[in-house]
Amino acid sequence: MLFATLEHILTHISFSTISIVITIHLITLLVRELRGLRDSSEKGMITTFFSITGFLVSRWVSSGHFPLSNLYESLIFLSWALYILHTIPKIQNSKNDLSTITTPSTILTQGFATSGLLTEMHQSTILVPALQSQWLMMHVSMMLLSYATLLCGSLLSAALLIIRFRKNFDFFFKKKKNVLLKTFFFSEIEYLYAKRSALKNTSFPAFPNYYKYQLTERLDSWSYRVISLGFTLLTMGILCGAVWANEAWGSYWNWDPKETWAFITWTIFAIYLHSRTNPNWKGTNSALVASIGFLIIWICYFGINLLGIGLHSYGSFTLPSK
Amino acid sequence: MPSPASYLLINPAKPSSFRRLPPPPPSPRLPTRRLHVSCDAPRGSGRSGGVGGRRETIPAGASKAKKQIVFFDAAPPVSQPQPQQGGSVVEKGESEKPTKEGSGNAALSLLRRATKKTLAALSNLPLAISEMFTIAALMALGTVIDQGEAPSYYFEKFPEDNPVFGFITWRWILTPGFDHMFSSPVFLGLLALLAASLMACTYTTQLPMVKVARRWSFTHSGERIRKQEFADSLPRASIQDLGVILMGAGYEVFTKGPSLYAFKGLAGRYAPIGVHLAMLFIMAGATLSATGSFKGSVDVPQGLNFVIGDVMKPRGVLSVAPDVFNTEVHVNRFYMEYYDSGEVSQFYSDLSLFNLDGKEVMRKTIKVNDPLRYGGITIYQTDWGFSALQVKKNGEGPFNLAMAQLKLNGDKKLFGTFLPLEDSNASNPSVKGISMLARDLQSIVLYDQDGKFVGVRRPSSKLPIEINGNEILIEDAIGSTGLDLKTDPGVPIVYAGFGALMLTTCISYLSHSQIWALQDGSTVVVGGKTNRAKLEFSEEMNRLLDKVPELIGANENVVDSKSTAT
Repeated sequence: MLFATLEHILTHISFSTISIVITIHLITLLVRELRGLRDSSEKGMITTFFSITGFLVSRWVSSGHFPLSNLYESLIFLSWALYILHTIPKIQNSKNDLSTITTPSTILTQGFATSGLLTEMHQSTILVPALQSQWLMMHVSMMLLSYATLLCGSLLSAALLIIRFRKNFDFFFKKKKNVLLKTFFFSEIEYLYAKRSALKNTSFPAFPNYYKYQLTERLDSWSYRVISLGFTLLTMGILCGAVWANEAWGSYWNWDPKETWAFITWTIFAIYLHSRTNPNWKGTNSALVASIGFLIIWICYFGINLLGIGLHSYGSFTLPSK
Repeated sequence: MPSPASYLLINPAKPSSFRRLPPPPPSPRLPTRRLHVSCDAPRGSGRSGGVGGRRETIPAGASKAKKQIVFFDAAPPVSQPQPQQGGSVVEKGESEKPTKEGSGNAALSLLRRATKKTLAALSNLPLAISEMFTIAALMALGTVIDQGEAPSYYFEKFPEDNPVFGFITWRWILTPGFDHMFSSPVFLGLLALLAASLMACTYTTQLPMVKVARRWSFTHSGERIRKQEFADSLPRASIQDLGVILMGAGYEVFTKGPSLYAFKGLAGRYAPIGVHLAMLFIMAGATLSATGSFKGSVDVPQGLNFVIGDVMKPRGVLSVAPDVFNTEVHVNRFYMEYYDSGEVSQFYSDLSLFNLDGKEVMRKTIKVNDPLRYGGITIYQTDWGFSALQVKKNGEGPFNLAMAQLKLNGDKKLFGTFLPLEDSNASNPSVKGISMLARDLQSIVLYDQDGKFVGVRRPSSKLPIEINGNEILIEDAIGSTGLDLKTDPGVPIVYAGFGALMLTTCISYLSHSQIWALQDGSTVVVGGKTNRAKLEFSEEMNRLLDKVPELIGANENVVDSKSTAT
């Protein structure tokens, strides 16, 4: 009972903090950026992180198993993983564009888990015999960490695609209108850019090369790094799952729908990594592959459970009151 | 808008980039201890070529004369710059060999050319990518189409007169074998093709890359250094200081005269080969699993036994029955544990194995997630059933009533049995009696001969119940355990592949960074590139270069000593 109350309180704290953070983001987006608000949104993220962690720990203690037995818990864990991803570059104190992706992702996942699912699904469920293994912790946490990482990486790629295509669109538009204006325009931009980078050089002597990167190149490079990390985690998650399946189901690979889709995800991101080795495909084409990967992850994570097929259909959309 | 430098920055450092890496002729490459390593770039002719770049570079002869500092202990013997001619002789000898053999035997050369062509075709990146895409698509299709149903199911679901999406009939599914996608020849063929591509790529692209990455190349051309993805020049600095700082940052540093070469994370360059090999291992193991394994499943009531060989069925052509198949398995006990809510928490089977002589060789209580392993055979707890009910009627018995599983929608199980209260004969076929139903081994629900509910009894309670004037006592509920058995010779190979894959994918995250530097007067020209973490690399470089101390007043000396050396 104590734990139930604690979980209740923590959920409410994190959810209300999230609502505030979303409001701040909306204000930043629609009105203008306020320095004070930005700091408080960061503080809100930290508050949310601590309440999610507290929630997961109290779940763990009260249920006696790792809190990843149903969809709600896994979504909360996903949001927690996204937050971790948000924090890592912060610790290293390196400037990056990752937080633009991770903050809203954390918030949306958390918000959906709390408000989008039925309240009955929030309850901790008992573990069926097949799930009672130490592998649960290893396999599921690895899978969710990899989903979080890959989602971030593919969103960065999608952002890259959007920026690229908008640029192209503008380019064609201007070309039609006035070539002369365009050349003038571009040369001016070039000049401005050079001036600005010179300025940056003086103000940030530590990173003269850093600002040579265009936004798209930075996005490209970041999404590559993040997806590589996610791919490593996904590999480990799938392999842990295979070893577990060999203990529980009698074979390391059963072509179960969830397994198959995890393998499809793996293949898609393997294609992404390979497509980057070709200079002609790098950038737009590989970003396109990663964006496909984004959809595939959601099919793998959500779609299969929604259909409730195969061996992996544990505690996803089954209501206790059936 | 991007400046030329930023254009270079987006240039890929990719596996094939080794082709760009070999230096232009002017920079005399340092012959390392492995002279047999051949390289496409003409090396011998380099001596006669003009010194590259507008900038005056130090000729190799001068650098030879100068002292050499090797910072790293495990450095290759860079201190033995052998005469350039010797190196080129070895080169020539190697390059001539294949042509001589080729002319000797036309058929052999034709074969060799064909192999080369096949390898080139297979290692083609677009081909490999399209293979992966096709495999992914087929797998997705395999989850969309219901697998392993009878043909009539597909006739019904994909009728010819009313095709799905206007064209998909059962022919589209049954002809290529998409009703059993993951064992269909199309799918397996594609996997084999992918394996071939993996091997070809490893052989033609990755291994040569290792050879290139393995030699430390100094460069004496400031122009080349400046053309790297990352380039900077430090005025009034010493290359020695830079070397020490790079070493502190985990680089392996080699210097030779005015030039410096440093690298880090070479393992990250090699790891993709390991990934490919691990994939091949897994594929090989899976093939062995598919062709050389036995599988069986059996439903054994508590207290009975079976011989392993009787239930095992070979799954492929390579399945060879091991000796342990004559082992007899005895189910000592089968029981379940329950949560407070009444749901099953775990199934247990206490198994004993007896060899031909009737000696017990092993005893273990297995449960889900904890199988028994003996002599290559694995016994899994997978299922359960309700075998029989021991019942006393008015103190007589006990009678063993066999339980039958009743058809029910969903996953829940229901078992039932019937205790007749009067003898049945031809004149009275509809016998009346007591019906007993059970969802699990815990509680039995009893109904009287009119079908009315009477009560619930637990087998352990020893509490009799009165039905239609008869006293019924449920003595015991006998469960049966559902066991899956298998032998799989592929598992060790697959697991080895798994281990290697995990390790190598982790290592693949490292990026291989290379740095070249050249002391050019009092200025140090630094250039570098990395194959993965490009942003982090330039940040790290900027941080490191900031640490390089600025020499005040010493610059004149450096120039002096240099001019005397040249």
